[in-house]
Amino acid sequence: MIQALANWILSFDILAGLGNPIAWGLSLFVVSALIFAFVAVNAIVLVYFERKVSAFMQVRLGPMRVGKFGSLQTVADALKLLQKEDIIPRSADKILFLIGPWVILVASVVTFAAIPFSDTLLAANMNIGLFYVVSISSIVVLGIVMAGWASNNKWSLYGAMRSAAQIISYEIPVGITLIAVVAVVGSLNLQVIVQAQGGVGNLFHWIPLPLPNWFIFHNPFLFLAAFIYLIGATAEINRTPFDIPESESELVAGFMTEYSGLRWALFFLSEYANATLVAFLVSIVFLGGWQSPFADYAGAQIGFLVITLVAVMWTLYVKAKAQRLSIYPVGISLVITLAAWLFPGFAVWLASPGLFWMLMKVASIIFLLMWFRWTFPRLRVDQLMYVSWKVILPISLVNLMGVAVWMWLTGEIQF
Amino acid sequence: MSYFSNITNAVGTLIAGMKVTMGYFVRPREHVTLQYPDEVWPIPTRNIGVGELDAYNTIRSKLTVNIDDCIGCKACERACPVNCIHIDTYKAGPDDDLGITSNGTKKKLLTASFIIDMSECMFCDLCTPPCPEKCITMTPDYQFISNDNLKTDVTPEQRWRDKNLLIYQFSKVSETERQRLKVEAETAARAKAEMMAVKKAAAAKAAEEKAAAAKVAEEKAARAAAEAVAVSKTIQENTKNNTSETLAETNTETVLVSEHGTSAEETTPATDTVTDIPLESISSAVTPEAPSELTADTEVVESPVDHEASTTKESDNG
Ligand code: SF4
Ligand code: SF4
Repeated sequence: MIQALANWILSFDILAGLGNPIAWGLSLFVVSALIFAFVAVNAIVLVYFERKVSAFMQVRLGPMRVGKFGSLQTVADALKLLQKEDIIPRSADKILFLIGPWVILVASVVTFAAIPFSDTLLAANMNIGLFYVVSISSIVVLGIVMAGWASNNKWSLYGAMRSAAQIISYEIPVGITLIAVVAVVGSLNLQVIVQAQGGVGNLFHWIPLPLPNWFIFHNPFLFLAAFIYLIGATAEINRTPFDIPESESELVAGFMTEYSGLRWALFFLSEYANATLVAFLVSIVFLGGWQSPFADYAGAQIGFLVITLVAVMWTLYVKAKAQRLSIYPVGISLVITLAAWLFPGFAVWLASPGLFWMLMKVASIIFLLMWFRWTFPRLRVDQLMYVSWKVILPISLVNLMGVAVWMWLTGEIQF
Repeated sequence: MSYFSNITNAVGTLIAGMKVTMGYFVRPREHVTLQYPDEVWPIPTRNIGVGELDAYNTIRSKLTVNIDDCIGCKACERACPVNCIHIDTYKAGPDDDLGITSNGTKKKLLTASFIIDMSECMFCDLCTPPCPEKCITMTPDYQFISNDNLKTDVTPEQRWRDKNLLIYQFSKVSETERQRLKVEAETAARAKAEMMAVKKAAAAKAAEEKAAAAKVAEEKAARAAAEAVAVSKTIQENTKNNTSETLAETNTETVLVSEHGTSAEETTPATDTVTDIPLESISSAVTPEAPSELTADTEVVESPVDHEASTTKESDNG
């Protein structure tokens, strides 16, 4: 995308004299700024949604007073954080304390360089994209340890140690589940991984249920791997139920106890950037990335018809069971179905791959993460290690073997 | 085996929990949040006040006063345990008509200021039962944001922040009028105080002179006694006691006389400066501190003849 932007800049007669290196540097700067803007805006939007989702799940309303339905609340909060005093503890290790949050932020923002937003919207098309994302996002732990150690505070240090232990433990099952996918595709290039998931086929290739060719439906082992990856990634980004590094009830705020103002905002920014990154990775690796779930426009029409029928049945079931009627699922799916049948252009758009489907999948995964967060209680430290080393790691290893055996049995790979 | 049952148990309970939260998520209309300034809890309608009258059967919150019915008796002020009611009243003049209350009582006092400091009130409702006109009552307004009570330009937010905005003035007397009444009352009080000061000074002077005269008289008496003793010793031994008694009597009389002479001269110019104060008020302003001197004073004013007679007597004696 950077080279394309540079070429586009050079295509203007006035700017053609710049030469390729300058144009390239210019477009590099523009793309970096765009990515950072995406991360910042994304954090503001996600904080708002997180608060709303948590409120609804707890029978509350959430922010309601700044803007319509409190929609400007997080903007106001961000402005407040920017104005706050940046306190540095006297006995802190100044240099590490100051650069800690920036290390975390940079590590979580630069991973977006390899993320394909759509088939063309991609900052850097690397052939080792997946490897790059996984390795760079692990640098976050370095910043966390820096911040925790430099704060010269027991809580911060405990938080940092726990975080380091947790991230290192969960890197392994996460890596192994990703290797299972790489074994199927045969490439580390994220774009190639997405392109391999186009079209519609049978579930697990033999159950006659037409579903998209996503890797989550590729074989039963990858189906399980998707959930294992989600669990491990949740732990890696320190979100509840794996938020022991910053568990409020024990460690005040963990490694960010001593931070305030802008630096504290950076922690928040990187936290949500990481959550988004995980959602992107799940949707790219397991849910087909920017691929549409429908093969063609007829598929979109029929698919939404089926979704509407399912929604109606679910509503009737809920009505019969709980004596209450929720019309939103039926209403929304009915509207989309009617639109898809009445306007074939809309159906074609639905069936075509693009940014829309990518963001839809990412939003769903982020909602799932929020759903996790506001449902599950936090794990104890020993339980966390138990889950990592005794449950998830063995299952992911068995999964990897299972995928290999499946591939061999179905003849997708030959030895 | 417990390993696998553990895992399935964990997955099952996690799914159950997620079902619960999703169940609430899709029903945001059942929220329990009260959007406070926009919505408020309904005010309880049950009887939680004291007494049978309707006015008492409300929730105990902000006080209100129907100032048209208030006769300024200050019964509520005295009843308040925390002294947060402050009332200033002034006697109506003889031709002023302050109207009558809804009970038909004629108002005799002008309630120039009726302040309730709601920031100190503890909502005990002790001030409402003593009111003879039932005009101080509790209202159900617990938010203190209604814009009655003359402070119409105050917003709720301001009232929450500034304690002074919780001081309610109920009197309808205008601020300038209140100031005028206050100044008037103050000048009257000052005049009274000056009067008292002058009188006190006079009394003190009189007492001083009295003491001086007593000294002189004592010396005289001592001399006379010595003479008398000498005389009696030379003439008559038996009647010694009798003569000393009569001498003492004459002494006291001389004291009184000297006092009158000075005090009459001192008080007359002082009374000239406060001409507008009637005589009764002065006599009523007599404090119990020095009743004897003052009664002596009035005696002087009323009986100048006596005074002259006593002086002649004194001179006679001398
Ligand atoms: S309610 Fe109680 S505290 Fe308040 S003004 Fe009346 S007597 Fe005083
Ligand atoms: S007791 Fe009633 S009438 Fe008397 S001063 Fe208080 S409010 Fe007025």
